[in-house]
Amino acid sequence: MRKLLSAPGAGPAVRSRPGLAGLAGLAGARRHALAGLAAVAAACAAPALRAQPARRVVAVGGSLTETVYALGAEAELVGVDTTSIYPPQAAHLPRVGYLRQLSAEGVLSLRPTLVVAAASVGPPAVVRQLQAARVGFELFDTDHRLEGVLATTRRLGRLLDRADAGERLAAQIADDAERAQTLVARLNAGRAPLRVLFVLSHTANQVHIGGADTAADAVIALAGARNALASVRGFRPLTPEAAIAAAPDVILGTHQGLQQVGGVDGLLRAPGLAATAAGRARRVAALDALLLLGFGPRLPQAVAGLAQALHAAVSPRS
Amino acid sequence: MAVNAEVAVGGGARPGPTPAPAVPAAWPLGLGLGAALLLALLGASMTGAVSVQWADWAAWAQAERSGSALVLWELRLPRALLAAAVGAALGLAGALAQGLFRNPLADPGLLGVTSGAVCAVALVLTFFAATAAGLPPAWRPWVLPLAAFGGALAVCFMLDGVARWLMPGSIAGLLLTGLALNALTMAVVGLCTFVADDEQLRSLTFWTLGSLAGASWLVASVLLLALALALWQGARLAQALNALALGESAAAHVGVDVQRLRTRLIVTVALLCGLAVAWCGLIGFIGLMAPHLVRSVVGGDQRAVLPLAALAGALLLLLADTLARTVVIPAEMPVGIITALIGAPVFLLLLRRLALRQGGHA
Amino acid sequence: MNARSDLIGPAAPGAAVPATHGRPLLELRAATVRVPGREFGPFDLRLAAGERVAILGPSGAGKSTLLKLMAGERSAAAGSVWLAGDALDGLPLARIARRRAVLPQSHAVAFGMAVELIVGLGRYAIEPDSQRARIVADALVTAHAAHLVGRRFDTLSGGEQARVQLARVMAQLWDVRDALLLVDEPLAALDPGLQIDLLDAVTDYAGQRGHALVAIVHDINQALVGFDRLWLVQEGCLVGDLPAGRSALPRLAELFGVELQWVGDEQHFAVAVRRRSPAGER
Repeated sequence: MRKLLSAPGAGPAVRSRPGLAGLAGLAGARRHALAGLAAVAAACAAPALRAQPARRVVAVGGSLTETVYALGAEAELVGVDTTSIYPPQAAHLPRVGYLRQLSAEGVLSLRPTLVVAAASVGPPAVVRQLQAARVGFELFDTDHRLEGVLATTRRLGRLLDRADAGERLAAQIADDAERAQTLVARLNAGRAPLRVLFVLSHTANQVHIGGADTAADAVIALAGARNALASVRGFRPLTPEAAIAAAPDVILGTHQGLQQVGGVDGLLRAPGLAATAAGRARRVAALDALLLLGFGPRLPQAVAGLAQALHAAVSPRS
Repeated sequence: MAVNAEVAVGGGARPGPTPAPAVPAAWPLGLGLGAALLLALLGASMTGAVSVQWADWAAWAQAERSGSALVLWELRLPRALLAAAVGAALGLAGALAQGLFRNPLADPGLLGVTSGAVCAVALVLTFFAATAAGLPPAWRPWVLPLAAFGGALAVCFMLDGVARWLMPGSIAGLLLTGLALNALTMAVVGLCTFVADDEQLRSLTFWTLGSLAGASWLVASVLLLALALALWQGARLAQALNALALGESAAAHVGVDVQRLRTRLIVTVALLCGLAVAWCGLIGFIGLMAPHLVRSVVGGDQRAVLPLAALAGALLLLLADTLARTVVIPAEMPVGIITALIGAPVFLLLLRRLALRQGGHA
Repeated sequence: MNARSDLIGPAAPGAAVPATHGRPLLELRAATVRVPGREFGPFDLRLAAGERVAILGPSGAGKSTLLKLMAGERSAAAGSVWLAGDALDGLPLARIARRRAVLPQSHAVAFGMAVELIVGLGRYAIEPDSQRARIVADALVTAHAAHLVGRRFDTLSGGEQARVQLARVMAQLWDVRDALLLVDEPLAALDPGLQIDLLDAVTDYAGQRGHALVAIVHDINQALVGFDRLWLVQEGCLVGDLPAGRSALPRLAELFGVELQWVGDEQHFAVAVRRRSPAGER
């Protein structure tokens, strides 16, 4: 059982639900605290030493899995969900189901001592069952800001008894983010922010566009551009009126989404997109979905990559 | 040109042969299904992603369990009982619907009852999510189940009212009204799907596939209670349902109040389907397969078919759910997919047999 | 020769209305049925216990509607229907079922139910019913269906199904007297021998219990042989209420638009049916 350790400097956006950890006997908590200290000592003394084999971690949510790998704790990972597609090694781990449709018994069959889950985990009944099963269920709220990524990194580091590694990783991410912002400033110098329309496509018939309060909106802002659909919240179905009213400079999609609809050509067949100036000029940019929207440790690369892709899309072809 | 005949004189009563026993196959089948169900419950409790030991059964008295004992008592057993209860509810609802329509292919899904439940859930998810989020946390898990139940009941009352207004006392009118309501509710769901943003869309999709993952002792108890009530009601109505098989007019001639019978049947079916859909999403074909399997052994006497269809439905869904839990360990398949994969071919087979039999009639 | 019933019936040929003993079993007072676009009636009829009446008329004339009116299946839009002195409208279904049984036109029964179960359903409204098993068995014997015990209804032939339905109706009114038996052309698709057997069985059964028998009949010979009284229906109205016999021929010929010829004497007879020749020649 793991009691929640509150850490100094944890951002206000981090909130986790304690399991019924408080019911653990005092002796049990003390035993685990001692073991934890020993593990930290061991980790500091010999970075090459593997963490104690007693910890078994299930990660639900692609960016959380990425962070676990980035912290060097992948040896403790015993299971992930189907959205954990990066790094590629994660594909070899047992899958406990889709993020929103977990199997309680499936998770429990891996005998985890720690389950870290993104906020959109479901179904709610399974979440309740896992919390009642006292497997160290930790929920990570959604926070589409750099600060949120840093806080998640630090928190996950502490949970995995790698507080130092967590701090180092957070510092590195912050550095990379600064450099990315420099690049963004340079690319955007002297011009108005680009208007970007983010397109999420499940099938050729069901195309949604992203408004405010979405991951796409946040990352577009970080890349120094503007969401062309900032007037609505959440995702809306794509219609010709909406697309034309948005009047984007660039249409942004994901690699996976484009694959679903048959590439750029397929995407531009969606109603309304072809009517926009960006659609006619084929100004379409695309990044990997998890990289772009995951708000994980690769956020700086995502921001930089997005800024470059957007400007490449609008630059005149020679 | 007919020739008048000699009248047979005499023909006084002579003692007839002793009538055959009522339903000879019912009791053996009932015992067999009951034993199979108990075995299946045991098997379902012991099978799954987590390996459960026999010793874990002794943990029933413990206040706090952990590990495999927790899985057995908090996850597996409630889920197995829920699967049995929902399967029995759907099987019974199917048998009642088939008796009501005098059609072996009638299914509550056909009436639009389950669609009504899904429609209500879609509406709540799409338009009232903000209101629902404002409710106290203790109430939130009950919002969708209540919505589903309300939707099923609303469809049933609509069915009864409209059909009565259209063609009083006619069951053909009811069936057609059910078809229309099915189309209407599915259109509303389509509208919600169109309007929904991404997150709601995915919730809805998974919910309509049917899953027993939300099982808990509370949910299982509620459904078992509703099932007990419905079985009791069914026992009272069984003979009237038999009379209904003669035809609506003939049933009225022998003294059955067809209108009242129909109302009670509809409400019972709505109750069973609404509760089942509320907690478990759309699980189809149980209401079609279970009564049919039972009838092929014991014939059409509803006094035997109703309880046996419940037993058969419980067994079917329990087996399907166990399969759903074990075929892609450690993930899970929605159980509605499995019942559809088995049920659709069975439905086609049924159709063919019926067509052959009717074609074979002189 | 068909034995004229020695129960209550026309004392002499020509009497239109039989002598009634006390109140009539069934009475229609200006009873009218309305369906969108058509009106059936008004019907004014009185029926005593033990009578045997055949309803005749061309297709679409309203025979079935009249029968349904008498059965209580259709309510009278105007006028009233009285069964054994009680207004049919207000009677509970279970009580009506003890005084009136209907043998339907179609035999179809959903699902494969056992023959005994179906016959037993005739006694649905009777609770408690300690004699049910014996009555079911006896009814099957009387309906020439004793050999069908233990069979599933949907495996029977048309004739066998008809017999089982008849047994059901008989079982319903087995232990009462002076009830009403309504029969809606159920013998149509049966072979002649079976038709005669069943009609005789019904007549005997009804005679023993004083039941009145009203049947829709298409065969004129059947009507004249098996029944005492004829009700002629045409275009929704009752156009004739006469005793069954030679005197009814002219009205029958007019009703159906055919030529009828009485062949034989009063005891052994048959009626020949011929198409009406255009110029009226014979």
